[in-house]
Amino acid sequence: MKRVAAVKKMRERLRHLPQLRIGGIMLAFLLFVVIFAPLLAPYDPYALSDNMVEAPNFRHPLGTDGLGRDVLSMLIYGARTSLMVGGAAALIAAVIGVFLGGVAGFFGKKIGSVIGEAINVFMMMPTFFLILIVVALFGSGITKVMLVIGLTTWVGNAKLMRAQAMSLRERVFVRAAESVGESKLSILFWHIIPNGIYPIVANTTMGVASAILTESSLAFLGLGDPNVISWGQIIQSGKSYLVDGWWICAFGGLSIIYTVITFYLLGDGLNIMLSPKLASVQNAGKRT
Amino acid sequence: MGIFISRRILTAILCIFAALCLNFIIIHAAPGDPVRILVGQDNPSPEVIEALTIKYGLDQPQYVQFFRYVGNLLRGDMGTSIYTGEPVSLMILRRMGPTALLALTAAVLAMVIGTAFGIFSGRRVGSKVDSAIGSISYLFDAMPGFWLGLMLILIFASSLHILPTAGMVDVRADHEGFLRALDILRHMALPVTTLTLTLIPYYMRISRAAVVQALGEDFITTLRAAGMPESKIYRTYVFRNAILPTITVFGIQMAYLVTGSAIVEIVFSWPGMGSFVMTAISRRDYPLLMGIYFILSISVAVMMIAVDLLYSAMDPRIRHTGVKE
Repeated sequence: MKRVAAVKKMRERLRHLPQLRIGGIMLAFLLFVVIFAPLLAPYDPYALSDNMVEAPNFRHPLGTDGLGRDVLSMLIYGARTSLMVGGAAALIAAVIGVFLGGVAGFFGKKIGSVIGEAINVFMMMPTFFLILIVVALFGSGITKVMLVIGLTTWVGNAKLMRAQAMSLRERVFVRAAESVGESKLSILFWHIIPNGIYPIVANTTMGVASAILTESSLAFLGLGDPNVISWGQIIQSGKSYLVDGWWICAFGGLSIIYTVITFYLLGDGLNIMLSPKLASVQNAGKRT
Repeated sequence: MGIFISRRILTAILCIFAALCLNFIIIHAAPGDPVRILVGQDNPSPEVIEALTIKYGLDQPQYVQFFRYVGNLLRGDMGTSIYTGEPVSLMILRRMGPTALLALTAAVLAMVIGTAFGIFSGRRVGSKVDSAIGSISYLFDAMPGFWLGLMLILIFASSLHILPTAGMVDVRADHEGFLRALDILRHMALPVTTLTLTLIPYYMRISRAAVVQALGEDFITTLRAAGMPESKIYRTYVFRNAILPTITVFGIQMAYLVTGSAIVEIVFSWPGMGSFVMTAISRRDYPLLMGIYFILSISVAVMMIAVDLLYSAMDPRIRHTGVKE
């Protein structure tokens, strides 16, 4: 009975959050493309042919690139790269952020303020430049790109989690667990993190979008993994054919925009759904 | 207030030092030998390699290199480029101008236009116009700057032939004085448009949220109930609240624009820091890379402090929470 009410409430909320609805549909389509890429792609994305820089036509719906590869097939396989890099990087950033932020906020003054200060310091680092240098100097395998983006973008998550942990540690159920003699670490993992993770969920969804943008920027600069097709790389290769083959760059960029908007919408929606305060601010505005 | 400022400055110094260490570690742990790249031959003679290694101090232990580097920095010496032999500070200074010109123009334009749209949209929250503007800003927010730049080149330079696509001045024309300024302005048009369009959504979102939030405050309701005209409420109370956060964003943006504009600079072959970073990377010019990174970290740290101070001067509430934390 209670479950039904919860589902109903969820539906009610979804109705007021077009962001989540539209984002969900867009994500479903994207996942469909990623999963069924081999069935959907009309050609092998790596196969070269003599039909170079061919404008969109019946055989090649989105044209071919400078090496005669089918652009549509490349975009379909590029979706796999983008989602993989975006998802993995955002997940790494979430795990590090949640853990460090949780420790900084929950553990007493000393450890807390040391990690807190470290978070502040890291916040001031010019992240993109750091990623650029590391990838440029250490090589640009796809795994390395994911790792580097994840390792440099956790700061926002850590800040959010820290604030959450600081307010949660004063709550009665945490106090109760402490007085029963539960260990600090177990309280952190069983009470603080599960109860405080909501804003990080929304932030991580946004993080997927920015990781995808970062990856495409790197690929565009020629620092992507040369063995894996990615949207940024398609745009980079299309740059030399900009005038005679606008479709190479144009569709690559549109794919990036579609995906980034998907995750922005989802992140936005989750943010409002998971923090009632924001929703009330929105409604307050609507009244006027 | 004093505690607040000194705390911020301490954090900034820590940050710069951390950036320095990280920078040093990353660059020195990287595979690839700068001396070999410098010599440029497949089989350079061992004597040449040895001489160059000693000349740049690369034979010393890492920690000696690090302390020497920090010591030189404190004396204002950022070293010389391995590739050209020029002082790094001079090379960076030469490239800073064009980048600053581009970044500053775009940031100011984006702030003015973005805030205007944000206030406009915030006043009509929930209306059709508001959601239309919101959707468009979403679109630009999701757009990679380099792609937008390429599309603008495609439209305005390649198809319409009205604007130059690359560089800062027309080398063949060799203009002087006023004509030269005009020429630079023409070359700036596309890169500035690209940067501005990608920056506008930030300002818009923030000022819109601030207006919406201010409208929900109790004192606005009170003023309304007291019969204050709507236009005066907006002019005196709402807008002021909306402009405050914009300034913070402007400061932070300024600090990051040096890197943020890098990729757009590369698209338009703008002779600024962006393309410079790429050349430094491909040449493995360590002193130059470290110099750029150092300048960047300092500018970010200084901007952050400036923003905090400005903000706390304008909004006393920040000061108190800042100390408590």
